[in-house]
Amino acid sequence: MSNVPSDLKYAKSHEWVRVNGDTATVGITDHAQHELTDVVFVELPALNRALKAGEACAVVESVKTASDIYSPVSGQVVEINKAVVDNPALVNTDPYAGGWFYKIKLSQPAEVNTLLTPAQYTAQISGS
Amino acid sequence: MELPDTKTINLKWPDGYHIDFKTGQFITVYWPDTPNYKRAYSLSSCALDQGSYEVTIKRDGKMGTRIVDWAKVGDRLGVLPPAGKFLPVLEHNKHLICIAGGSGVTPFRGFVREATRRKLETKITILYSVRTTNDIIFNTEFRQLEQENPNFKFHVTCTRLTPSDPWTGRCGRIDAAWIQSHIGEAQNTVFYACGPNELVENTQHLVMNELGVPKAQMLVEKWG
Repeated sequence: MSNVPSDLKYAKSHEWVRVNGDTATVGITDHAQHELTDVVFVELPALNRALKAGEACAVVESVKTASDIYSPVSGQVVEINKAVVDNPALVNTDPYAGGWFYKIKLSQPAEVNTLLTPAQYTAQISGS
Repeated sequence: MELPDTKTINLKWPDGYHIDFKTGQFITVYWPDTPNYKRAYSLSSCALDQGSYEVTIKRDGKMGTRIVDWAKVGDRLGVLPPAGKFLPVLEHNKHLICIAGGSGVTPFRGFVREATRRKLETKITILYSVRTTNDIIFNTEFRQLEQENPNFKFHVTCTRLTPSDPWTGRCGRIDAAWIQSHIGEAQNTVFYACGPNELVENTQHLVMNELGVPKAQMLVEKWG
């Protein structure tokens, strides 16, 4: 069973969001990393890039496939996780902490309310 | 090139190298300058093809782009030995129904190639879902194999055709009725599904839940 932390919000496309004030941290979920299998390459958005919710902004490549990552929220990228670029396996081993992708200053904070709750995301990945 | 974005490469074994492997397995490749960055690809050749491997690669991600756009004859790639259990049951009374999406069709080329060369009585039916007629990998080769092997059938369904496309074949997603229409003796049929996770999971649902096929009669290979 995949880990779905209760303090995060989720996108249908399997990204998670942790909000702290006017900034959010974004990564991909435990379920997503499990489906991808061993992650071998991560490409992150450029610092200061302005993103719109739903925009493809990163790429994750595993031994089996390459997948676009979509920003769950709109805003400006204020920090990227260089550690996950240097060590993509962090996405598999620590998806909700060391494997985070980028931090974004929210331009439309209300968008967070439209994301899935942990219960809703759990229902999605369990097919119910 | 199989398609503008899809290329088959032949990886010649080093001189004196020999390995036992099976049709349907995958290999893991890497460039010598980035040994930690590896991608796995199903073999599109078969176990009768000794001396080299063939893999058919779509331009996706860093590896797919480098191979499709930049690999040239004489380049050297690191290869981990074949692995995997997505193996054809090539017995004379079996019927293999092979359901593929996109580049998920590539291992089935190996299945058909081996059965054809060995002149086996095993029936093989490929049900192949693509977006448009421009996305059919190995179209010419599979049509040729149909001529050579009376036990092999190749069927395509297109999911995103424009109204002006002259295609007269099937349109729409793979559904239970289409699969059912190709089943002869259910107890001797083995189902295979290969492609993107969503297609494979939908196919598993159709075959096992809607058609009631036991899990033991189905093998899947998900590509994320």
